[in-house]
Amino acid sequence: MDIKTEQFVDVARKELKNDRNKQFLGVLPYGITISRQRSMQTFADPEAANDYGRAIRAEVIARLSELLEEFEKNAAANGAKIIWAETAAEANAFVLNLARERGVRYVTKGKSMVTEEMGLNDVLQENGIEPFETDLGEFIAQQLHRPPFHIVGPALNIPVEEISDLFIAKADMKEPTTDPVKLGYAARLYLRDKFHHLAMGITGVNMAVAETGSIINVENEGNIRLNKSSPRIQVSIMSLEKVVPTMADAMHMIRLLCRNCTGQKLSAYVSIDSGPKKSDEMDGPEELYIIILDNGRSKIYQDQQTREALRCIRCGACLAACPVYCKIGGYPYGWAYSGPMGQVLSPLLIGLDRTHDLFHACTLCGACKQFCPAGIDHPKMFLYYRMLEAQADTEQKGDFIPDKPAKLFDLWSWGAARAWRWKIAVKTMRPMMNYHAKDGVIRKTVAPLYGWFRTRDLPVMAKKTFHDRWTKIKKSR
Amino acid sequence: MSQRAREEILGKLKGAPKAKTVPRPYVPPLTELSWNGEQLIANFTQNLTAQTGVVHRVKDSAEAKAKLAEIFAEEGLTTIMASTDAVVAPLDLRAWGKEMGVRVLTAGDFADRDAYKNAVFTEVQAGVTGADYGVAESGTIGLIHDRNQPRLISIAPITHIALLPVGRLFPVYESVTERVFGDKNKLPGQFTFTTGPSMTGDIQGGQFKGMHGPRKLIVILIG
Amino acid sequence: MKTVSMFIPCTVDLFLPEIGEATYHLLERLGVDPIYHDEQTCCGQPAINAGFVKQARDVARHFIEVFGNDEAVVSPSGSCVCTVKHHYPELFCDEPVWFRRAEELAPRIFELSQYIVDVLGVEDCGASYPGRVAYHESCHVLRGLGVSEQPKKLIAKVKGAELVPLKFAETCCGFGGEFAISYPDISEAMVKEKCDHYLASGADVLLLCEPGCLLNIGGYLSRNHPGKKAMHLAQFLAGSGTGSTSSDGHGKEG
Repeated sequence: MDIKTEQFVDVARKELKNDRNKQFLGVLPYGITISRQRSMQTFADPEAANDYGRAIRAEVIARLSELLEEFEKNAAANGAKIIWAETAAEANAFVLNLARERGVRYVTKGKSMVTEEMGLNDVLQENGIEPFETDLGEFIAQQLHRPPFHIVGPALNIPVEEISDLFIAKADMKEPTTDPVKLGYAARLYLRDKFHHLAMGITGVNMAVAETGSIINVENEGNIRLNKSSPRIQVSIMSLEKVVPTMADAMHMIRLLCRNCTGQKLSAYVSIDSGPKKSDEMDGPEELYIIILDNGRSKIYQDQQTREALRCIRCGACLAACPVYCKIGGYPYGWAYSGPMGQVLSPLLIGLDRTHDLFHACTLCGACKQFCPAGIDHPKMFLYYRMLEAQADTEQKGDFIPDKPAKLFDLWSWGAARAWRWKIAVKTMRPMMNYHAKDGVIRKTVAPLYGWFRTRDLPVMAKKTFHDRWTKIKKSR
Repeated sequence: MSQRAREEILGKLKGAPKAKTVPRPYVPPLTELSWNGEQLIANFTQNLTAQTGVVHRVKDSAEAKAKLAEIFAEEGLTTIMASTDAVVAPLDLRAWGKEMGVRVLTAGDFADRDAYKNAVFTEVQAGVTGADYGVAESGTIGLIHDRNQPRLISIAPITHIALLPVGRLFPVYESVTERVFGDKNKLPGQFTFTTGPSMTGDIQGGQFKGMHGPRKLIVILIG
Repeated sequence: MKTVSMFIPCTVDLFLPEIGEATYHLLERLGVDPIYHDEQTCCGQPAINAGFVKQARDVARHFIEVFGNDEAVVSPSGSCVCTVKHHYPELFCDEPVWFRRAEELAPRIFELSQYIVDVLGVEDCGASYPGRVAYHESCHVLRGLGVSEQPKKLIAKVKGAELVPLKFAETCCGFGGEFAISYPDISEAMVKEKCDHYLASGADVLLLCEPGCLLNIGGYLSRNHPGKKAMHLAQFLAGSGTGSTSSDGHGKEG
């Protein structure tokens, strides 16, 4: 997938003008939030349930290497083949070589954010192996060559007319239709044939259970189950933080995942694989490959603050909570992960220098943190990235050196460290700030603050600040 | 490649600064754990019905067969595939099907995997399976997949009919996973939880059942 | 007489000084002796938010020097209180002496409504207002400090005032400091929505406890809906006692 994180501002501007999005984003997150809150009520104490999930994720991060080794040992004992990959390129090469060796002409895929991150589809396609996304939304997004609009519903925003045209062109649909059910059915028929003759299925992993060596997928459509049951070869790819200690932990996290993701008590299908099929079974994979992908995470892990990002379970609760996402939708974030989740993950995975807007386009309102069942403090993460950026931390690929702001803040902190300097600065600034003032209000001003004044006024900088007024108050006491 | 990557990755993780593990906080026990008997059945039914699953309750396997006949007639089913698990096998559905004019296939009828897949993807109108577990907290059925419970029978056909003895109904997932995953030496290749039919909301958020798997899930509770 | 030290944030000092005056008059009316350290400037929030922690530390040290000996500090800004309470200890995590001073200060600083209700134990400030009001739950007041009931209790005791529901009251108004300037398109869409909900609420004044939100919402109203008011809770509560509130929630030159 192309990385377009640097186009954030332009794409956001475009999306803000999209009336369809406005309508859609005005309703959907609200609906998700309501159903999430309702579904959380099954817990005797919803916040305690969240806190327990947060503790599980904290423990995973603290015990990561140990849990991965335990998982590896148990999964191997179950007969799965464990492949470690340091980079996306290594993982992609493994999948490609395996497909070639086995003479596979096409693969199907279950919705998997990690394969989006890897750019697996492009690699397979370029090498003559057709990848078919099989999650309906992902299938549509793939055919349209667009990034996911939402992690749960990647093509939620696409008008039915556009989908109809697309399916006629690319999914063997015969008659145009605007009926979502008919459109869905057309996709079912088209992809069913792919599942039927499938030799190799590729999925992500929602959770990997260390205790049993099992991998778990959570889904509603059934495409992942077909991906895993029909072919002789199953490749399941997990980023290394997907591991959880025990099956009981996995069940607790699944409760939180489903409630936070779609407001369901449980998604339609949860499938748990412990090794390939047994020899006497008619279906299921003869070979099960589990790729454990690093792709920069072990480096992210070196820093106690950045490693907090690895708590994320990809539920998407932060998207519906985010007032910025609710205005601009998923496209401006420019890559596999959107919303606060993407703002936390993308800078670490592709570099601060290419994601400046992702960790700045945030009011630090904290709604995401409030809902996060994994315990991520998003605003704190953004402040940390901003600090690394300000320090031009090359470890985090922060090549961008914000020279001017640094000088500005040097000057500002010098001024704010003593009241007499502060007062002189105020006196110096006031005529500039108030240059265009009229009737006690500033309606326009000098260039750097232009953004404010397009639709907003500012009160004039007071002739008598509170400092000045206090002198008078003090005298009258 | 993999071995070197393994050493690199684990080496880096182990070399990183250590964080304290804190004890897990207290979380009140799940309220569902207090359910038993008819409460389990009522909640199972309510939760599954909320997901547009259909739940029937019968007294015994004779009634179960009668209910199946009713469903088959209603849905116009003429060719189905059945699993051969401990719930379904004793029903001898093949003989029953002959009387009913329904062709009942099993995975064992096919010489190879491809022939079986052709049938389960294109020929059969429904899959009939037993269920190893039911979970009341969400109206979920649990299937242990093995030679007698092939995976595709419950996911490829457009209708899935599952037979669940009420004694297999439990309040929460953990009651089931403790039993299925308790012995590390006896793990099933695949275990699945199913809660309602296959569904999607991916086009404009509108719900559509039967996206890739069954459009209809019917559970017959026996007992 | 109980004394309390006022921290008047830079936004208030420079652009909204009447909120500072209202804070003073309100506290005085409640039988407290408010003091004001003339040496105070800014809490350092802008630098922290921009990632310039070195510069923020310099300003934070000054703040701690100024307020470090006060028994209680009160401020009409939730976000500034958050900065001192939550960010100062983080800023000095590698400087034990300053860390300790920051930790000692943290529990002694209060947002104004929090101070009045939780510390003074007062709900009725003796104010009256004949009309309907709505309350915007500023992010740092609500999620940063967990302050939500306190302002509502104070409003409830204002004679004649009716608190009407505000749709999505807990949603951010789109200020975010540098955010409003760097991402005006998004910020405008957010503040527009906030104001639309306010207009739809039927209230004739929108109350809040955060000068940043007031600049943003007030600035948008001033430009687009000149008749509609946003006002700091301090001015609202002090208003009927002293008559010091301004008509549009914005500072008139004094």
